[in-house]
Parts: sequence; structure tokens; C-alpha cells
Amino acid sequence: MTSFAYYPGCTLYTKSKNLDLCARETAQILGVELKELETWNCCGAIFSTVTDDIANQVAPIRNLIEAQKISNKLVTLCAACYNVLKRSNLYLAKAGNETYRKRLMNFLDTEYNGKTEVVHYLETLKYDIGFDNVKAKVVKSLNGLKVASYYGCLMVRPSEELKFDDPDNPVMMDDLFAALGATPVDFPFKGECCGGYILVDKPEVATKCAQTVIENMAASGAECVATTCPLCQYNIDNQQKMMSKQYNLPIFYFTQLLGLALGIDEKILNLNNHFIDPKPLLKQKGLLQ
Amino acid sequence: MKSEKKRIGVFVCHCGINIAGVVNVPEVVKRLKETTDAAVVIDHQYCCSDPGQNLIKETIQKEKLDGAVIACCSPTLHENTFRKTAARAGINPYNCEIANIREQCSWVTEDKEKATDKAAKIIKTLIKKVQYDEPLTPISIPVTRKALVIGGGVAGIQAALDIANTGYPVILLEKNPSIGGKMSMLSETFPTLDCSQCILTPKMVEAKQHPNITLMTYSEIDSVSGYIGNFKVKVRQKARYVDWDKCTGCDICVGKCPKKVSDEFNCGLSERKVVYKMFPQSVPNRVVIDAPNCLYIQKGACRLCEKHCPFNAIKWNDKDEIKELEVGAIVLATGYELLDKQRLGPYGFGKLKNVVDGLQFERILSASGPFMGEVKRPSDGKVPERIVFVQCAGSRDPENAMAYCSKICCMYTAKQAILYKHRVHQGEAVVFYIDVRTGGKGFEEFYKRATDEGILYIRGKVSKIFEKGDKVIVWGADTITGKKVEVEADLVVLATAMVPAAEKSFAQLMKLTQDEYGWFTEAHPKLRPVETLAGGFFLAGASQGPKDIPEAVSQASGAASKVIILFASDTLEHAPVIAGVDEDLCSGCGVCIDVCPYKAREIQVKEDGKKKTVKVIEVLCEGCGACSAACPVGAAQQKNFKDKQIEDMVKVGLE
Amino acid sequence: MIIDETIKKDIEELSGQKLSDCYQCGECTAGCPTAFAMEPVPSQSIRLLQLGKYSELLESAGIWLCAACNVCGERCPRGVDYGKIADACRTIVLRNKVTHITLEKVDKKFILDAPQQAFIAAFRKFTT
Ligand SMILES: Cc1cc2nc3c(=O)[nH]c(=O)nc-3n(C[C@H](O)[C@H](O)[C@H](O)COP(=O)(O)OP(=O)(O)OC[C@H]3O[C@@H](n4cnc5c(N)ncnc54)[C@H](O)[C@@H]3O)c2cc1C
Ligand code: SF4
Ligand code: SF4
Repeated sequence: MTSFAYYPGCTLYTKSKNLDLCARETAQILGVELKELETWNCCGAIFSTVTDDIANQVAPIRNLIEAQKISNKLVTLCAACYNVLKRSNLYLAKAGNETYRKRLMNFLDTEYNGKTEVVHYLETLKYDIGFDNVKAKVVKSLNGLKVASYYGCLMVRPSEELKFDDPDNPVMMDDLFAALGATPVDFPFKGECCGGYILVDKPEVATKCAQTVIENMAASGAECVATTCPLCQYNIDNQQKMMSKQYNLPIFYFTQLLGLALGIDEKILNLNNHFIDPKPLLKQKGLLQ
Repeated sequence: MKSEKKRIGVFVCHCGINIAGVVNVPEVVKRLKETTDAAVVIDHQYCCSDPGQNLIKETIQKEKLDGAVIACCSPTLHENTFRKTAARAGINPYNCEIANIREQCSWVTEDKEKATDKAAKIIKTLIKKVQYDEPLTPISIPVTRKALVIGGGVAGIQAALDIANTGYPVILLEKNPSIGGKMSMLSETFPTLDCSQCILTPKMVEAKQHPNITLMTYSEIDSVSGYIGNFKVKVRQKARYVDWDKCTGCDICVGKCPKKVSDEFNCGLSERKVVYKMFPQSVPNRVVIDAPNCLYIQKGACRLCEKHCPFNAIKWNDKDEIKELEVGAIVLATGYELLDKQRLGPYGFGKLKNVVDGLQFERILSASGPFMGEVKRPSDGKVPERIVFVQCAGSRDPENAMAYCSKICCMYTAKQAILYKHRVHQGEAVVFYIDVRTGGKGFEEFYKRATDEGILYIRGKVSKIFEKGDKVIVWGADTITGKKVEVEADLVVLATAMVPAAEKSFAQLMKLTQDEYGWFTEAHPKLRPVETLAGGFFLAGASQGPKDIPEAVSQASGAASKVIILFASDTLEHAPVIAGVDEDLCSGCGVCIDVCPYKAREIQVKEDGKKKTVKVIEVLCEGCGACSAACPVGAAQQKNFKDKQIEDMVKVGLE
Repeated sequence: MIIDETIKKDIEELSGQKLSDCYQCGECTAGCPTAFAMEPVPSQSIRLLQLGKYSELLESAGIWLCAACNVCGERCPRGVDYGKIADACRTIVLRNKVTHITLEKVDKKFILDAPQQAFIAAFRKFTT
């Protein structure tokens, strides 16, 4: 079994356990081991773009160094962790940033030059495992389920750095759901921002952002939404009940839908951790008893 | 190299106070007399004046001189003048040289003493040069007085007509079945709003009927060889599957053909038949069969066109034909295309039905267009109540598309908005713009007219366009009030950037240079805008950069006049100050071939079949010296700029 | 806050952006998800800096409304990333020990519900 270093991050250990557990379980089924870093710390949750900000780069880089003990590839799941770790890594290794790197190294025990490759679990599924192989392991096809894949900001931008997918029309998650038998629905707000990062400081503005996105998702004819980001999940899920019109769009982590199709235990799926209860929809589609 | 000493005269010009105000001319004269072997040294107020030239001529004759140095202004200004004077006096003009003591001395040196020293040194180096100068005679080459114009848009048509009207034969080559180019697709034209077809078709017909013009449509260039005055061109005339000698353009077959495909002329907004005419006024008025889509050619069944053709014109065994042409000059008028909307992700990747580009909207406006001139939108044929026009879609955008300004979009957007308002009176037109650039005759007034007619201009660039129900939502900004603006539209028109039609491979075929975007580069951006660095190739219209019709037409006439000048004589004189090859030294390494910007050097195999050396195509060499500098063995030597000569000049200069 | 000409240099260095690159097309504002509430909007914020009105921007509410979504930088035709400029401006304010939020201000229920990520990011971004 191939194994990759795996970084869960803080939110996946607490509020978003299902994102994490479903990933580990599905990886197992697909013949890949996600080997958690022996020790890890918070990535910082937001990438500091300030050019001289050493203090906030130490944390993510420590994780990248730790990953080296397991493999050259570090798999992430949370969109924010992916964004922060990948960009911190690129910034450190960027040509011309040698002085910065030297200064940063004063705060770390191990010399490091950026050789850990930060990837997202979606990329592991697509490039290491292959969507065809995922498809072969489907035991419960998501047939008939109309899913809006919501990438949000952190997966796709800055595209020049992340090179994850087209920032204006990402399709990687859609392709995965198609392989699982679901019907991906296209909508123009796949990469729009839900306002998550200002949720704490300016909840009223974040609410408006999220609601604009929700309206757009609903208009696309989607029955449910899938995301990679705990912040998006929370925001899109939570904001719906505050809206004058009730769309009742359950929002899943993509790993939950993957787990459902691969037939993992319902306890791991943890479908109770949602504001908008997804069970009625899944029952209606015959995907749940 | 000559060994016996020349009798050289030096003429130092005061250029009023331009030179004499800084350089101490009498002192220079004195020093030259004392320290050089010049036969005579004279100064004059203005050497270029008639008395000045007479003095030079008389002195040369009286003193029996065989070389002259004129110390004056830059050779770009008066070299020609004085070489002619020298020739009139009976010496070889290439033994008369300019010592530039104005631009390179008096104008740039403040200290009078230093300027005087410097002037004397400059002149001394030129005396040395003349000592070595060989007498040269201009190279004469024959000229085939027949032109090829590539591209049958308005620019190509105009260039062909101008050349043809002077009496020279012209071949007008067009890749499409009909000439006309983009102008034939336009509805009305800014700033006068005259009907585009109405002003273009007379020219198309004139080109067709002109006794000196041969039309070759549905044809492409296969190869080009030769050089200025003597090109050999192979043209591929594509198989039409219709015998154009028999076809009358009656269109009966078009009516019978059962298969429809997307119509390029209507930019995909409607369909055409497989046997088709580009548009009703096509010139020549003939049909072609689009082989890749033809049911008979592809699947062996159908032949309805053949059955119904009253003239027996269908020709199933038609093949591409290669025609060889000999021409003396080539005009490039290959025009432009619009940037592919697929490249504009935030504007919907070209996938949104009700987001069209400028040319599509021209077709929508056009009486011969997909909706017969009624403004309707592609998705459902509804008359749009609000249209949003988005300027700079891919222009002025170095990060995501083209860095340059496409120049015509401000005007055609204003035009299209006005025309829309004329057709749909209660309709609303909103234009998002960064700047409105109206630098043309009548343009600012035209823009004023647009705002007078109630068109709303919002200053800000659009960031996102998406569908919501059957509407299109545009996210823009009004930077003047500092507000984000959302507009709900029925139809959006993108003023997508103009991009060159000529592909890289085509330019390589022609051995022409293109800028980073693919526009052909002119020989000099200001002073030689219609010529290219490759002799005999001229540029017309939008192949060189974004242009509107008046500009394309004037440039076409400019290119035509350059062709006519070239054809004025049946031989061509080429300056003889060019590079040569010392075949004994040349190892045939070919370094010089790569550095030559004029493609004037090529490998040749000597008669013995063994030794390879480089050969110079003399007419192409502009004498820039790149090869001489690059040649590792000193075999590439430029006439009158030989290594030894330059070395000695430098020595004198450093004395 | 003390403002002087060195601030421009600071902002350009901290953000890695050249202020003069912006030609005020407004595409950043047009795409910004929070522009409806942001004052000044991204393009005007850059304009203020171009005009040397640093304090006006540093004291504004606008820089705190950036959701760090990166749309402005992604689409800017001139390659200017306003998100980075806003980050630099916030950093300058924060490094002057002026904190933007405190825990007391945050709704308690929210603390129980929302993912950690939201708080860590907020306190990383908005406190000294
Ligand atoms: C939406 C829109 C509206 C416009 N409205 C106006 C207006 O109102 N007023 C105005 O003045 N201008 C207007 N213009 C500009 C106008 O279209 C151009 O100025 C004009 O068409 C340029 O003519 P051209 O002959 O240089 O190029 P084109 O019209 O592009 O002609 C080039 C020709 O060369 C042919 N060709 C290309 N490559 C080859 C090849 N390799 N071999 C053989 N043939 C080839 C092409 O098929 C074409 O026929 C508008 C442009 C647009 C996009
Ligand atoms: S043979 Fe081809 S061109 Fe002729 S009618 Fe049939 S499909 Fe059309
Ligand atoms: S998009 Fe770029 S150039 Fe345009 S206003 Fe914003 S920062 Fe300036």
C-alpha cells in the first residue's frame, strides 16, 4: 500500500471530524494510506502575504519539515490548510527569496528547502489513484444526485501558485462526483467567496456573501452542495436558516459523498453534524435506509 | 586594398554656429594641414549650400583629388548630397565620406577646446578611411514588375487597385472563397454610419473586373523563395469541387443541398449549406463545396447538387492545384481576427449564448445577417431590452490577454450602441469602459452623439459575467463613485481584442518578423511604416496592428505606392556597401547566417563539391556588419569597412 | 498615527506590489465579494495610496473588510494584487499596536458553533 504523509489540521480534529475520518477510510479502501504526521501544529489558517512575515511562516514550514519523515508528498484536506501550506512552501523556495529563507531557518531546527510537495486529497484521488479506479470501487452509485461542487476561494486562487484547476471553472470535484455516479451541476459561483474569513469580525457582510452564493447554487438546480472547506461548509450550511427563502440545500464534505458511494460506515459519515439535515434527501434518493 | 596614396580633400563646414560656435574651425584646418597628408583642407560656412557644393566640386577638379572628406552633420542627412557632388566632380562617390562633427561633436561637447580636439580626430579617422576606400558601383538587379497582394480585405483590395491602376499586373490572393474581408461582415461604419457593404462592394467588383488584376480566391501560399524584384511563389488553390468556368452562381444547388453546418460568415449565429456562397455579394460570385462536411465526399451518398445544377458545374474529381507565380513585390494584407472568447474565463469562456463578440453583433445588426437586421438575441430570438457593452475584453490586459489597446473598439462600441438604439427605441444600452479613446477625425463628436442618444457610459472594467435565468448578469464597477455595479442584461457584447490573422507558421514561410503578439513588424515605426526589413515585402491594413477602415485603406495606398516606386524602373539599384565572403578563409561554419537580420547569407557548396562556403545574396545585404562582427575567421568582410581599415581608423582616433 | 513618505515604500515592500502599476480600471472592485460594504473599495484604496493619502486608507474601515479571496489579484489586468496591499496596510496598523478585534466582541454562541479555522484566521489577521 502506498502511503503519503497526511496533515489533518485543527478543525478536522474537532468540528469537522467527518471530513477527516471519511478521507482516511476511503483512502484505505482505495489502497492508499494517509499517514498522519507524528507531530503537527496549526498551519495558521490564513496565508500571510506580507513579504517579511517570518513569525507566521514558521508554523506551516514546521509541518512541511515533519512530513519529510514520511514522504515527499504531503496530503491535505482542508482547503485552508492546502492553501496555506502550499503557498508557504512556494514562497520559501521562490527564487530570489534566499535571504528570507535563511532568516526563517534561524527559527527552525532542521534545514529545509521546499522539497515537500503539498497536494490536496482530491489531487491524490485524481492523479495517484485515478478517478477510474475510484469508480471501480463504488458500491452505492450516487445516481440521480445533483451535486453543486463548491470550491470557494482557497482551492483555486491564486491560480498561478496553486495550479489546482481553472480558477473560473474548476472541474476536479465535478469529475469525481461524475465517477461516483452523481450528476454534477454547473454554476457560475463555484469559485466565489462565501465571506468565511470575515465571519468573526463582520458577520453581516459574510452573511450577504454566503447568501449570494447560496442563491446561485440553488438556481442551478442543485439538490446538495459539496465542499472541501470547513469554513465554507459552516457558512453555507449555517446561513441558510437565516434567509427569507428556505432552500434547504444540504452541504457535504466531498469525502462524505465519496464515503457514501464507497459504502463506509454511517457512523463515520456522521450525517448528524449538519444544520440542514441531509438525511431526508439521501433517503429520497435511496442512498440511505 | 589600394596601396598608392589618394589625393584627399577635406572640407570643414561651419554649419553657421552649429559647428563653428563650439569647434574652432580655423584651428582644426590648421592642425589637419600640419598633421595629415590631406592635399587640401578648406572650410566653408555651409557646405551643403549651392556655393558650398560648387566649391567642393571645383576644388576636386582643380586639385585633381581622388577622395574627399566632408566634415559636417550626420551622414543620414547629407551623405547622399555630397556623394552626388563628388560624382559630378568625377570621382567615385564611395570615395567621399562624411566626418560627423555636429551630432557627434559640437552638439554634445560643451568645452570648446575638447570639441576642437575631437573634431580634428574624427576628421583624421575619416581621412584614413578614404585612403582605404575602394571605388564601388551600385548593384543592379532586374525587377519583375508584377505584384502579389496576400489578403483580400479592404486593405488588400485597395492596394491591388492602386497598383493595377498604374498599369502593373497584380495577383490578389484570398484564402476564403470571396474577397471582402472583415469589412464585408460589418453593418454600418463609424463615424458616418454609412453601410459597409454599400461602400465596399463597388471596390470588390472593380477589383474583379480590372484588366490588370487576377483574383485567386480560396487559395493559400505554399512557399516563397527569391528576393526583392524576383520572388517565386507557389500558391495552393484549394479544391472547390465546382468548375468555376461553368458555375454562374445561380445558387440552385445551395437550395437543394440537404446538409447544414455552422456559418462562419455569420460567426456561428446561423447555418449555411455545405455547397455555399459566403454572402450574396460574394466576389467572385461562385459556390464551393466544403469537402469535410459533404455527404457525398465523406460518405458516398447524396449528389443532389450535381443532379440539380443546370450547368453541369459540379466537379467531384477536383483537386488542390499548385500554381507558380513570379512576382517582384509582395503586399501583406492578411488582416486580423478577434480574440477567442474562450480565453476570457471570467466572461464565461464563450459558452454563454447571450454573450457575443463585436463581429457577432455586427452580423446581428446587419440586414443580411442571421436575423435580417432585427436586433435579436441568439438564445431565444427575443428582442433585447437592455444590452451591456463591455470594452477592453482582452485588450490592455497584459496579465491575462493582450497588452495593447485594440484601438477600434471604443468607436465600434459607440456605433453598435447607437445602432441598437435606432432599431430598438425603448432599449437601454450600457457601456462599461476604462477610457474612451476618440483620437480620429469626427470620433469625439461621434462619442458625444452616443451619450446624447441616451447611452449610459459607466467607467469601470467588468470582472464577471454569468447567467441567471434567462438574463445575463454583469459585475462591473463605477470607479467614479467607487461603487460595485451589477447590471442585468438580455444581451452582452464583448469588444474582444483584435489579434493578428497571420499565424507564426505563415510569417516563417514569408521569413517576416512579427512582434510578440504576431503583428508584422515594420522597418521603422515612424519613418518606414509600410515597409518591412525584408526587401520587397510591404504591409497593408490590420496585418501590421489594429486599424480602422480609413487607416487600413491609407496604409494600403502607402504600400501600393512603395510597390509602384519599386516598379518605376525595370532594374533595381542596391547600395554596394555590403558584406562579402573571402572564400579562401570561410570555413562554412554558418555563424553569420544566423546573425544576419536580412537573411542575405546562405551556404553554398563549391564546384568541387567538397568545400562549403557562405554566399551573399547581394541585393538583400543592407551592410549592417553583423556578419563581419560574428565571423570567427575574418572571412566576412564588409566593403569599405574592412577589419584593417577600421583598425587603422581606431589607431588614428586614439593617437 | 504618524504618516510619512516612507509609508509608500513600506506598503510596496510589504505587499510586493507596485502602486503605479494600477491604471484604475476598477476590475478589482467589480469582482470583490465584499465591495458592496467596503469603503473605500479596492481601486479607490489604491488611488488613495497613489495620491499619497496614506492615513486616509490606513484609518479606513475598508482594509479590514477584505475577505482574502484573491479575486482582485487573480483578474487584475496589470497584475496588481489589492489583497496583498490590504494585508500590508493592516500589518502596518497592527505593528503600531492598534488591535482590530477582541475576543469579548465575538458572539459566544458563535464560538461554540463555528470552526476553529475562522477564529484562528480572524485573530491572526486582526490582532497585533
Ligand atoms: C466589430 C467590429 C466593428 C468594426 N467597425 C468598424 C467601423 O465601423 N468603421 C471602421 O472604420 N472600421 C471598423 N472595424 C475595423 C475594420 O474591420 C478593419 O479596419 C478592416 O476590416 C481592416 O481591413 P484589412 O483588409 O486590413 O483586414 P481584414 O478585413 O481582416 O482582411 C484580411 C483578409 O485577408 C485574408 N487572409 C488572412 N490570412 C490570409 C492568408 N494567409 N492567405 C490569404 N488570405 C488571407 C482574410 O481572409 C481577409 O479576407 C470594425 C472591426 C470590428 C471587429
Ligand atoms: S453532395 Fe455535398 S454539397 Fe452536394 S448537395 Fe450533397 S451534401 Fe450538399
Ligand atoms: S484591477 Fe488592477 S489595475 Fe484595475 S483598478 Fe484594480 S488594482 Fe488597479
